[in-house]
Amino acid sequence: MPGIAKRSLAASAFALGLVLAGGAAAQTACEIKLGALGPMSGPAAQWGLAMLGAAELAAAEANARGGLQVGSQRCSVSVLSYDTRYTAEGAAAGVNNLASQGVRFIIGPVGSPEVTGAKPVATRHRLLMFANSYAKNAIGPQWPLVFHLGPGPSEWAPPIVRLAKEQFGMRSVAIVAPNDQGGTDIASVDAEVYRRHGIAATEEYYQRGTTNFAPIVTRLLASRPDVVDTASSPPGDAGLIIRQLRQAGFTGPIGRLGGPGTEEIIRVAGGIDVVRNFYWYEVAPTEDPRVRAISDEYRRLLNREPPENTNMWLWVVGARMTLRAIERAGTATDTGRVAAALRELPVEDPNLGRGAWTGQSFFGINQELSLPFGMGMILDGRMVGVRRIDVSPQ
Amino acid sequence: MHEFLTAGIIGISLGAQYALLALGFTLIFGILGVINFAHGGFYALGGYVAYAAVSQAGLPFPLAVLVAVVATAALGALYERFLIERLVDDHLATMMLTLGLYLVISTSLLAVFGPQSPEFSFPVKGTLRAGTLYLPLENLVVLAVCAAAIGGLWLLIYRTDFGRALRALADDRRVAMTQGMRPGLLFPLAFGLATGLAGLTGALVTPILALSPSAGDPVLVTSFLTVILGGLGSIAGAVVAALIVGFVEAYASVYLGGSTGALILFVTVLVILLARPTGLFGREIRGA
Repeated sequence: MPGIAKRSLAASAFALGLVLAGGAAAQTACEIKLGALGPMSGPAAQWGLAMLGAAELAAAEANARGGLQVGSQRCSVSVLSYDTRYTAEGAAAGVNNLASQGVRFIIGPVGSPEVTGAKPVATRHRLLMFANSYAKNAIGPQWPLVFHLGPGPSEWAPPIVRLAKEQFGMRSVAIVAPNDQGGTDIASVDAEVYRRHGIAATEEYYQRGTTNFAPIVTRLLASRPDVVDTASSPPGDAGLIIRQLRQAGFTGPIGRLGGPGTEEIIRVAGGIDVVRNFYWYEVAPTEDPRVRAISDEYRRLLNREPPENTNMWLWVVGARMTLRAIERAGTATDTGRVAAALRELPVEDPNLGRGAWTGQSFFGINQELSLPFGMGMILDGRMVGVRRIDVSPQ
Repeated sequence: MHEFLTAGIIGISLGAQYALLALGFTLIFGILGVINFAHGGFYALGGYVAYAAVSQAGLPFPLAVLVAVVATAALGALYERFLIERLVDDHLATMMLTLGLYLVISTSLLAVFGPQSPEFSFPVKGTLRAGTLYLPLENLVVLAVCAAAIGGLWLLIYRTDFGRALRALADDRRVAMTQGMRPGLLFPLAFGLATGLAGLTGALVTPILALSPSAGDPVLVTSFLTVILGGLGSIAGAVVAALIVGFVEAYASVYLGGSTGALILFVTVLVILLARPTGLFGREIRGA
């Protein structure tokens, strides 16, 4: 029996060796798996699908060049996605799921609740994460592998408020947003910026999932604000709030210092005439032909229509930068070295132009990828356009 | 005073919408004993069918609403006939079947129509104004349809042979079957009637609010809350509870804000259920 056991053991070891050798041979065809983590369904789906589209475009660009040169290997790039449904628990589960499939680099998540849920798990797995969200603690010194696709409201709100005040001369604003971290973290920063510009600001929060905003609108208008700002309310909610504000007789301008989605907001509100006077933060200078060329590149490489949401144009830079950092670090597994390479990379994108690493003053760490953004405006029911605003390095 | 009256008008509008939603939900439980987790899905589907009928087929809105009702009723009836019917007495299985159907509907809508809300507006525009008070005409139309639907449903259930047969099956299926009632025919019809009501609500209300593949998520929560408060299976309870939910939501949100308003609503329901655990009209819960 001992002899049989020894022979079985030897045979098993040999078989295991063959399997491992086969695995090693397969690994010579190097593949980098990029995780795309975000809401792919539910009210925030368009933000997540824009992020997924950006990751797929960056991967397709790399593969079209013959893959990434990582040390001595030429690696193809693939994208694995996970639907968080815009929840913290969904994001945490998603990080575990992606890590179990060999993902070391994650593009996303999109919203504050997701980022809060994903960070501890990603840190435990030592994954590099390029997150968005307007959370006040989106990044920090305690999360050295988490980067932020920015700039955040602390960067872009001041110039937009200044320009809006010049245009509309408002003295008071009522800000409305969901009552979770995705709403409160940005609305409170927006309110502070308005106040710094001499504009009285009130904050009003609603339960995410609210379907009829008529009571909220009544409450908003009780304070007789000059402007109502929909902050980071999902575009569908924001459109409905605007429509119900107009039905209630509010004629003042509408602001939106929050997530993008202007086209959907106009549709849900009932048209540009209903929206009438509107200013908003746009994640990229959307009228720049070089920026719009990203969508043409998407059609060419992926042979389908790009996601509608303009967030894709910003996300693609984060995905490209991550892949460039992997090449520069010469490793697809050591995320610490890739993070170090990423911090050293100059912020310059062929489509969005030159940006800067920011975040030191607000987050305590200079890992916020700040790129030129835009301020859009509709005046008297006419689309005026998106004005380019550049960022300065810290 | 202006806010008080405005909140009252909003409460009636909300209550009417919630009543339409809750009626179908409570009907299915009352007759089949099935908790239909796909109810929100039929609401969203009704909205999209009406939207497609208007924007792609070019139908006038009233006809589009009719198409939405027929489509959602037919899908509901077929689903009951070929899947739920086989496991109708297994509560866990029917829950999973309806929850699965909801996921299939919402994901299919996402795949076909995309994540963004389309432009789908109510054809009746304008707002009635009296001083600072206002009532959008579209809400008035929904109120009228809601009243007609509630009245029609009441007549159908309490004044027709079809309704008597359904109530007999709900009361004691075995005895009803010995009297010649055929659940194989009547259950799909009842299920289709309920899903058709959800489709009607979706077709009418989504152009007033917003249409998206996930529009059914909050609908399910509201419907469930309303029918639990009214007493599972009770038509009168669903209507009364819907109005209570509408008024509490409106007044609490206007005077206490969106976050606290939601809390007050749940606390109110909790207090009522502590006093009457079977709901306001709990005696009418099906006995079968």
